[in-house]
Amino acid sequence: MIQFLSDTLLRAADLALIAVGLSVVYSLIRFPNVAIVQYAVVGAFLAISLQSAGLGLFMAAAVAVLAVGGLALMFNVMIFERLLKADSAIALIGSLALSMVLMAVFLMVYGPIAYRLQLPVEPPFRLLGVRFTVWQLVTLGVSAAALAAFALLLHRTRLGTEMRAVATNAALAAATGIENRRIVNIVVFVSGMLAALGGITLALRGSVSIDMGTNLLLPVFASAVLGGLGNALGAIVGALVIAAAETVVTNTNLGFLVGEAVWFLPASYAPVASFVILVLFLLFRPRGLFVSEVSRV
Amino acid sequence: MTASSSSLLDVRGLSRRFGAHQVLSDVSFSLGRSEILGLLGPNGSGKSTVLNIVSGFLSADSGVVALDGVGITNMQSSRIARRGLVRTFQLPSMPRRLTVREVIQAGDATSATLAGSLQRFRFDDEVETLIEAFALSAVADQPASSLSGGQKKLLSVATALRCRPQILCLDEPTAGVHPNLRAEMVRILHRYNAQGIAMLVVEHDMLFIRDLCHRCVVLDRGEIIATCAPCALEDDPRVVEAYLGKAVEKGKLSA
Amino acid sequence: MSDFLIHVASIACIYGMLALALNLQAGFTGLVNFGLVALFGCGIYGAALAHALHWPLMGGVAAALGMAILLGAFLARLGKRLSSDYWGIATLSIAEVIRITVTNEKWTGGAQGISGLSLLFADLKPWDGLGRLGLFGAVLVLTYWLCQKIADSRFGLAMKLMREEPQLARALGHDVDGIRLRVMVISSIIAAASGVLYAHYLTFVGPDQLVSADTFLIWSMIIVGGIANNAGVVLGAVLMQFAMAFVPFVKDILGLPTDFVAAARLLLVGGGILIFLLVRPQGLLPERVGRRA
Repeated sequence: MIQFLSDTLLRAADLALIAVGLSVVYSLIRFPNVAIVQYAVVGAFLAISLQSAGLGLFMAAAVAVLAVGGLALMFNVMIFERLLKADSAIALIGSLALSMVLMAVFLMVYGPIAYRLQLPVEPPFRLLGVRFTVWQLVTLGVSAAALAAFALLLHRTRLGTEMRAVATNAALAAATGIENRRIVNIVVFVSGMLAALGGITLALRGSVSIDMGTNLLLPVFASAVLGGLGNALGAIVGALVIAAAETVVTNTNLGFLVGEAVWFLPASYAPVASFVILVLFLLFRPRGLFVSEVSRV
Repeated sequence: MTASSSSLLDVRGLSRRFGAHQVLSDVSFSLGRSEILGLLGPNGSGKSTVLNIVSGFLSADSGVVALDGVGITNMQSSRIARRGLVRTFQLPSMPRRLTVREVIQAGDATSATLAGSLQRFRFDDEVETLIEAFALSAVADQPASSLSGGQKKLLSVATALRCRPQILCLDEPTAGVHPNLRAEMVRILHRYNAQGIAMLVVEHDMLFIRDLCHRCVVLDRGEIIATCAPCALEDDPRVVEAYLGKAVEKGKLSA
Repeated sequence: MSDFLIHVASIACIYGMLALALNLQAGFTGLVNFGLVALFGCGIYGAALAHALHWPLMGGVAAALGMAILLGAFLARLGKRLSSDYWGIATLSIAEVIRITVTNEKWTGGAQGISGLSLLFADLKPWDGLGRLGLFGAVLVLTYWLCQKIADSRFGLAMKLMREEPQLARALGHDVDGIRLRVMVISSIIAAASGVLYAHYLTFVGPDQLVSADTFLIWSMIIVGGIANNAGVVLGAVLMQFAMAFVPFVKDILGLPTDFVAAARLLLVGGGILIFLLVRPQGLLPERVGRRA
């Protein structure tokens, strides 16, 4: 049980950072920028490169996070602002296309092999009967701190109030003197930072390769939809649900179904869990967990 | 509700609320065959809500709508339209990549079958008649979205007429239409009315209502406050008060 | 070299059909489908499963079309409730679920796939390649004719009205759900038919042919060629297919590493879509507004 909780929490922490970024940008510009999962990969690769160039781990991560924030802002101004003038579906196609371009760049720069951050080796230890590594706990702490900081930003600062005002009614917000464009730019920057941080926490616990983004796309999107696209903090709950579903699907003994004593679904079925939940939700509750009225989105 | 009912459209006890706001309470009226009924009321009185519920674009909390004796309450909008009740919109939005002529042709939903794809495409004569009647000849081959607001209004009425409706529901048909065209519009609508098309018209323009409609229903805050002939509107103190808040001298309303 | 050209042209015909199928959905009806490859997959796996079960060729065609119609109808049903961006991601997810399932199941041949399908016109050697190209070309022309008929008809008018003003279409009595269903079923049949041809061309079917990258390749064809223009999307299919096929030669000539091929193909598709969306969103051959009649 504790093992299940820890698996779920670790997975959810990675998904949540990126899903929150996706969701908060959606709340302002009304289109799901799925390229954000590739921003996470950029963050991870950049941190690895900076570290091997001689920067300390913390500095490498910090520079990567800021750089990806800037990158997200640049893409938004150069590409998505323009595509959104046509249609949100066009912008979605554009973000899928941008994902492919970024993957091409990764392939050219890093090739198909997997990379790791250089981390001091720490022996694993037991906590409540479950094996942990120090880095697992560090990533959990970093994610929790980042999400808490983001929640404070959203609900305890003037900037957060303005963000929520723009999300609720952009025209009204503009009439009260809020500069929508400035708010959108800041939020896009922050979403890039969150995504990069998500990528780096993944890199702290494992290796990074070019298909990391593709593998993240659907669980991250499912988390954001479950939480209600545009409901930034809802995405955290969405991530917990998706992570739990993935853990259940791959760690439950399904022997009774096939008439054998022990039988597990192949691990590659893990993403299927999030897809199935996503499709069921889209069918029956397209606005997410937290809206009582079911209606066409 | 029996099929022998003499009215074409029967609305009984319609209610609808949005959150805490009761937009319609117990609204009942009927529309006779070949009748033109005006639906009036100040902003927020619920007349557009009535139109939206009758045409299936909004659901009613309670109440019954019957078209020719058959219940259509909360039926899908496209099915209601195919049964002969067709509506226009207050702010018609028109496609960018279809021409005016194509949009009017698209008003004929029954001929748009997949099996019909194999036949040769041609515009029917009715489309040309409508283009003529609504003075759209000069722009017939322009993209529909390029029209002015007033022209879009005319186009939306022409398109709805191409459906050959039993009942035409018009949502503020004159807003944005050039004053010279309003008299023309009354003339056209009367002509189609003479062919047996009944009309339900939501409108602000009193002159237009007086020239077009046979009878009026006045709504205020979600309730019917008066049903009368158009020329009697100004004589009804409740109507005058609903519109202007206070009693005004006779004759001011149409100014 | 000429064998190679015949091969590339044959594959271009297959992609031309897929581009026409996607154009019916996305171009004319506004259905942003990111799961097209799954409908194609119904075609290739219909043929492959028929082979594995020792059914005759027509049995494979029936299985392929049957599966594609069911999947297409299911996707159309999903579209009843969802706006276009949600539906797009849902279709992408379903295509991925199907790919993962096919990879992990035994009856689909798993990751190894199913091989040994019969090659079309194998006994026409040495003219078999041309024979296949002729067949594929003929089917492409037939598909083009059908798509053109549909787009130019009153039904096509309803599709376009639904694409741009679904509310107006409903108010005029158009059965928007019915139109979506019909369009999805027709284009699913086209996609599955191209899949059957493809399976009996390569004689091998596997989950690698179900990757979403292929869906995006088809998207790049319709965006580059000209969305909602049937001639344009076929042109786009030919251009993109030839560009993809010649990437390895560029690599050899410039002496670039092997990863260049995969990267350049990603760049062609992603970059092609982005550049056209930003600079020439109407594509090489824009949609014709209005008609000559």
